[in-house]
Amino acid sequence: MAKELTPQEMLRIDLTPPNKDWMDIPTVIKPGIYCYPAKPEKVEIVGMPNPHVWSPLDDDWGLPEDWKETFLEGMRERLNKHRSFKIFMDICVRCGACADKCHFFLGSGDPKNMPVARAELIRSVYRGEFTKAGKILGRLAGGRKITEDVLKEIWYYMFQCTECRRCSLFCPYGIDTAEVTIIGRELINLFGLNINWIQEPVANCYETGNHLGLLPHTFKQNIEFMCMDIEDFVGVTIEPPFNKKGAEILFVTPSGDVFADPGIYTLMGYLLLFEHIGLDYTWSTYASEGGNFGFFTSLDMAQRLNAKIYAEAKRLGVKWILGGECGHMWRVVHQYMNTFNGPPEFLEEPVNPLTGTKFENAKSAKMIHISEFTADLIKHGKLKLNPKRNDHLKVTYHDSCNPSRGMGMFEEPRYIINNVCNNFYEMPENTIREQTFCCGSGAGLNAGENMELRLRGGLPRANAVKYVHERFGVNMLSCVCAIDRAVLPASMEYWVPDVNVCGVSELVGNALIMEGEHDRPTDLRGEEIPGFAKAEGEEEVTEDV
Amino acid sequence: MGRNLHKGLREILVHKKGPIVEKWRELIHKSYPPETAQFLKREKDRFSNPIGSSIEDSIWPLFDQLIGEADPSTTKKLLDNLVRVRAVQDFTPASAVQIIFALKQIVRKEVLPAAQKKGLLREYLEFESEIDRFGLLAFDVFMECRERVWEIKRNDLLKRPYLLAGGMCPSYMMKRGIKHLEKLKKEITQH
Ligand code: SF4
Ligand code: SF4
Repeated sequence: MAKELTPQEMLRIDLTPPNKDWMDIPTVIKPGIYCYPAKPEKVEIVGMPNPHVWSPLDDDWGLPEDWKETFLEGMRERLNKHRSFKIFMDICVRCGACADKCHFFLGSGDPKNMPVARAELIRSVYRGEFTKAGKILGRLAGGRKITEDVLKEIWYYMFQCTECRRCSLFCPYGIDTAEVTIIGRELINLFGLNINWIQEPVANCYETGNHLGLLPHTFKQNIEFMCMDIEDFVGVTIEPPFNKKGAEILFVTPSGDVFADPGIYTLMGYLLLFEHIGLDYTWSTYASEGGNFGFFTSLDMAQRLNAKIYAEAKRLGVKWILGGECGHMWRVVHQYMNTFNGPPEFLEEPVNPLTGTKFENAKSAKMIHISEFTADLIKHGKLKLNPKRNDHLKVTYHDSCNPSRGMGMFEEPRYIINNVCNNFYEMPENTIREQTFCCGSGAGLNAGENMELRLRGGLPRANAVKYVHERFGVNMLSCVCAIDRAVLPASMEYWVPDVNVCGVSELVGNALIMEGEHDRPTDLRGEEIPGFAKAEGEEEVTEDV
Repeated sequence: MGRNLHKGLREILVHKKGPIVEKWRELIHKSYPPETAQFLKREKDRFSNPIGSSIEDSIWPLFDQLIGEADPSTTKKLLDNLVRVRAVQDFTPASAVQIIFALKQIVRKEVLPAAQKKGLLREYLEFESEIDRFGLLAFDVFMECRERVWEIKRNDLLKRPYLLAGGMCPSYMMKRGIKHLEKLKKEITQH
């Protein structure tokens, strides 16, 4: 696919690209845009088909002999199984309302990243292979046959969609291109063609319970290390409960919070919050991952990996489940878990033990979001807070696609931020809440090798951050998603270098007034807080060891 | 260039600024595929059209820099705004910065005849050289952007939690490990 240029071609500097039908514009797979292929052993671990070594830049992708039949059979099966997929294939009128709503189109300018075009890559095969008109008229009816080049094109663009669903918001028919991508990726996975950044976390999660492959003792140790930091920076000793049978609540968060900067500071925020209110809860070293990269592989895989959450809740005998700050985890929890692996009759409707609030929204799935929980605590005056400790920050809030568009959580994080910070500024209306722009790296695209793609996709969000940075001096971009926390720093580094990224619970942790705390000249990152640091000449803060 | 720009030539350029910059914008839009070019032109909301707004925000003041008192840091900032986006898109380095050099085609059409009539050919050519200088500066900016992308890739790799079963992120391990040792040492000496 990627071909060597001739000397003539090298000398030509085209300023204007050709005006041709999209089917006539060959897709050139470029480094910086794609993610490395799945390692065969990681495909094998979870029993997925055709594990093999291959490269997107090679001509031969190592497809099995009968791949075309498999593809068409896979498509037929899914057209029958998912009514939504069938409808989305049939009803698009190509009105174009979704065309300019995708962050990848807005950042790349590549028309094949228009949601309608992305779906059309598969829809054209549907027409050409499954509909009468398409079979007879072919291209005249917008149909084409599945070929290796078509499969490669589908592969390239299915991994340029973060399944963020922004496009669906604008479609008069409610066509959700994210669901087309989900099916597209399922088909790709029939041939061992996943990307490694998704496949390896899936394999890890299957083997150890979390994406990073942290074994139970490592998982526990990492959290204990964070408790040591809390001891240093706050002066309170926390001994978090692990695998505690009979605890009231099971807490599950993405493993990125346990491991990756700046997620770890968000996790310190959770620890402080639970200590502050004396919550009867437990961590689990088995259900040690809230995220679910299986969801970016196939719905079956999502179901398999998700199963451990209810299983662990049952084993530990908790009453209900509390979830940390994550994005796609909430799409799975909110929209799938209950039917994937539930409903969990052995659990109770979540009730906040401190306020008595019943979370009726989670009556069936029995799991609520930490922001819902924290907001409820604040509303009932259960938290002692000093928002001045966040006064050096001018904060804005990025609605992560899944908690906002996927589950409708808009107010809780804002309510929390307004209570723990004094300087909060919203980004422009058409870039937040339902209309939020994706971070540009979700749905398993948060690798490093595809950085150009990530930066393109991150442009619309960064463009709005830049605006509030220039206008109000915003220097902190908060969010409630572990992938956001992992990827937005890179996007900011490129587009708006003076803006940092944090989780909302980190802001909470910094504002909480803990019983028995010592002077806190620094925040949870160990950085001095202006106005709280001791002036020179004053006595040094003695560390309480 | 600014001060050195011949007064008569500047007058022509100021007079023609509107049509020149508008054509320049069109040319930049058309460096994208046709569907995209149409969109960039049509959508006026700056948040719904980040590429278009970065172009719009840069080209007008850039042209002012060309015909007025160019301030190096402003010029660089404007070029950065224009080129940073292209540096991560499907452009070769040449086609990424060519949009600056291409301004010459437009100015030649719009201004050269009038300049010649006034006997300002030499001055006109000097002005074109100034555009070249901006083009070369744009290349500097482009390279800075590309180097930044590589830096970010490297940082991402260094920060990336290693997917080693049972392993820990090495830097985190070191940071925490040292702290832990120090604490133990203190405890031992105290008791
Ligand atoms: S779901 Fe998001 S990333 Fe995918 S096509 Fe729609 S807007 Fe683009
Ligand atoms: S908005 Fe809906 S109907 Fe219109 S082109 Fe997009 S997917 Fe098709």
